[in-house]
Amino acid sequence: MEPKTAQFEQGAAAALADPGVQQGLRGLYGGFHSARLTAAAATPDWEELRERGRAIKTHTIEHLDYYLEMAERNVRAAGGSVYFAADAEDAREYVAKLARDRGVKLAIKSKSMVSEEIGLNDRLIAEGIEPVETDLGEYIIQLAGETPFHIIAPAIHKSREDVSELFEDKLNAPRYERIEELAGEARRQLREKFIGADMGITGANFIVAETGTLTLVTNEGNGRMCTSMPRIHVAITGMEKVVPSLEDLAVFLRLLIRSATGQRISSYVTTVTGPRKRLDEDGPEEFHLVVVDNGRSGLLADPHFREALNCLRCGACLNACPVYRKVGGHAYGWVYPGPIGAVVSPVLTGISDAKHLPFASSLCGACKEACPVKINIPRMLLKLRNEISEGDNHPEERSSTLAERLAFKGWRAAMSNPAIMSAARSAGRLMQGPISGGTSGQQKGPGPMAGWTRHREAPRLADKPFRKRWRDLQDDAGESSK
Amino acid sequence: MTERARFFDSLRRSLGREPGPPPAPAPESALSRDAADVRARAEEIRREAQDNAGPLSDALKQAAETAGWRVAVCETHEAAARYVADLAREIEAGSVVRSAHDAVERLGIERALEGSGVDVCTMALDDAGDAERDEQREANRERMIGAGIGLTGVDYAIAETGSCVIVARQGASRLVSLLPPVHVAVVELGQVLPSLDELFALLRQRFGEGDPQSYMNIITGPSRSADIEYQLVTGVHGPGEVHMVIVG
Repeated sequence: MEPKTAQFEQGAAAALADPGVQQGLRGLYGGFHSARLTAAAATPDWEELRERGRAIKTHTIEHLDYYLEMAERNVRAAGGSVYFAADAEDAREYVAKLARDRGVKLAIKSKSMVSEEIGLNDRLIAEGIEPVETDLGEYIIQLAGETPFHIIAPAIHKSREDVSELFEDKLNAPRYERIEELAGEARRQLREKFIGADMGITGANFIVAETGTLTLVTNEGNGRMCTSMPRIHVAITGMEKVVPSLEDLAVFLRLLIRSATGQRISSYVTTVTGPRKRLDEDGPEEFHLVVVDNGRSGLLADPHFREALNCLRCGACLNACPVYRKVGGHAYGWVYPGPIGAVVSPVLTGISDAKHLPFASSLCGACKEACPVKINIPRMLLKLRNEISEGDNHPEERSSTLAERLAFKGWRAAMSNPAIMSAARSAGRLMQGPISGGTSGQQKGPGPMAGWTRHREAPRLADKPFRKRWRDLQDDAGESSK
Repeated sequence: MTERARFFDSLRRSLGREPGPPPAPAPESALSRDAADVRARAEEIRREAQDNAGPLSDALKQAAETAGWRVAVCETHEAAARYVADLAREIEAGSVVRSAHDAVERLGIERALEGSGVDVCTMALDDAGDAERDEQREANRERMIGAGIGLTGVDYAIAETGSCVIVARQGASRLVSLLPPVHVAVVELGQVLPSLDELFALLRQRFGEGDPQSYMNIITGPSRSADIEYQLVTGVHGPGEVHMVIVG
C-alpha cells in the first residue's frame, strides 16, 4: 500500500468534519474500550499475564533468527513450504508466481494486515486473479475501494445506510434497512466465492516455532473457510509473529482477544500445521507460509524501537487514544493507524513523510496502559519527535528553528536559576493582561501564541507563587509541631 | 545470495550478532519444559479432568451459555439423540451431516431419526485410492453445503471459555461444524478441561508424541460479526445457531 502519511493534517481535518466518521469513532470507546476493561478485570492475574506476555515476546524477538529457523523446520516437517521475503516485492512475487503456476483464478482472503501492507490485491488483479476479501468489514472496504479504518473493525466508519448504498451500487442488491439483511447478503455472495476459490490467503496471529503451527483468531468463520475450502492455503505474516511453544498460546490468546474485543475468546481460534494429511477428510493440498521483513529489521536493529515488534495488533491502543478517537484511522495514511502506527509507520515507510505522526499524540500514556504487552509507545513517540526536531539520523528533517532552539535554551537557563525565575515571574504577572482572561477565556495571545490560546484558557499567574506558599506552609507546620 | 540467505543475513545484522549456538529458551516460555515434564503434566491434567468431571461440566455449561451456545444436559446417549432428532424435525433440517467421532457413533442418531424423513450422512471417506477419495470429498462437500445440521463430537471442551475443541482428522471433517447453518456438538463427561492452559499442555504433549494435528478449532458460540455499527449479527459465514449437548 502506498503510504499517504504526509497528508495527516488533511486527513485529520476531513475526519473531524465528517459526522458519520465521528459517530463510528464514538462507539469505539463505549464498545471495545470498555469491553476490554471489563474482560481484563474478570481475568485472574491479568497484570501477571501481561508481564509474562511481555517477557516471552521480548525474549523471542531477541532470538528471532533462532525461532524463525525452528518454525521453518517444523512447517517443512509438516509438509508445508516456507518463504522468507525481504521486502514487499519479494512477497508479492512469490504469491503471484505460485498463483500463476497453479492456474489460480479466484483467491479468497481472510483479514491480513500484512497483505494490505504489501499491496497484494493489486498485484493479483494485475495477474488476472480475482482476490476477494471475506471478512465482512474488509469486504465492505474492498467494495468501496478504501483502506481499513481500524485494525479489527475495518469499516466501523460506515453506517448501515452507507453499506446498503454500496451493496446496491456494486452488487445490484435491493435496499436493506437492517444489519442482519446486509450480513445475509454478504453471506450469500461470499458463499459462492468460498465454493469456487482455488486459493485461500490468510494472515497469522501467531506462528508457533516448536510445531510450525499457524494460529488464526476470527469471529465470522471466514478464516476457517479460507483454510479449509480451497486446494491451496497461503499464509502471509510479519516476521515478528513467532512464539516459542504451543503452551505460550494460552497466554497470548487471552491477552490478544480480551484486549481486542473484550470477548473471553473469539468464536474461532484455528490452528493450521501444514496441509491436510493423507487420511484427513478435507483441507488444502498445499500450505505455504510467507514470512515478511519489509522494514521490520529496521525496528529490530534500533534498540529504541525494537519493542514495537512485540505488538499483537489488538487495536487496544487505538480505542484508548484520545487523538485516534477524533481523527480516525485514515488520517494516519498507512496500514497501521493509531499510537502504534505512529511509531511503526515512520520507521517502516520513512520518517520524512510521516513526520506529523509522532506529534499526533498528547503523550497521555493511555496507549501504554491499554497495551496487553505494555509497549512503551509514548517513549518511542518522544524519541521520534526528538529525532525529527534534532535531525538525529535525518539531518534533512530537522524541524526546529533557530529562534525555537534559543527560546528553549533561555527557558532552561531561567528554570534552573531561582533568581532569574523569580524575576521572570514578577514580570509575567505584570504583562499577562492581554493573554490571560482569567475565567472569560476569550482573549487570544498575540502572534505565534494565538494558535495555542485559541482553544485554551491561559490561567492567571498566582498572586503568591508556589515557592512562597510552600515556605509558608513549612513554617506553619513547624509552628504547630512545636 | 539466495533470498533466504539475504533475509537471515539482514536479520542477524539487526540483532547485532554472529550466527552462534542456539540461545536457551526464556524461563517464562513453556518451551523450557522438557518432554518428561510435559508428559507428567498431561497425565495429571487427564486425571484431574476425570476426577472433577462433574464440577467442570457445570462450569462449562455456564460459560457456554454466556458465549451463545444453547446447552442441553442429557443423562444418556439415547436422550441426547432424541434432543438432536427433535431439533432436526423442529427446524425441518432436511438432512443431517455428521462426523464419525465416537460420541456421535454412540448417539445412534440414525435410529432416532428413522421414519422422520430427515437423512443422516456420515462424512467419512472410504479407505480407497486417492482419485476415488477426491471424488468422495467433492460429494461430501455438496452434502455439507446442503445440510441443515452438522453434528460432531469434540476432542475437549473448555470451562474457562465455554468452548469446544475439534481436531480435524480421519472421521472428523473440517467442514461439518462450519458449512451447515446449525452445529450440534456432543460433549461427554470427562472431556472438559479447566482452561486454555490445560488444553495447550495436552495438545503439546500429543504433538510431541507424533500426533500430526494438521488442523484444530476452538469453537465458542455462533459465527458472529460486529463490523457494521458494532451491532452483533450471528451466522455471518459459519453457523448462526449452535447447540452443545453434554452427555452424562
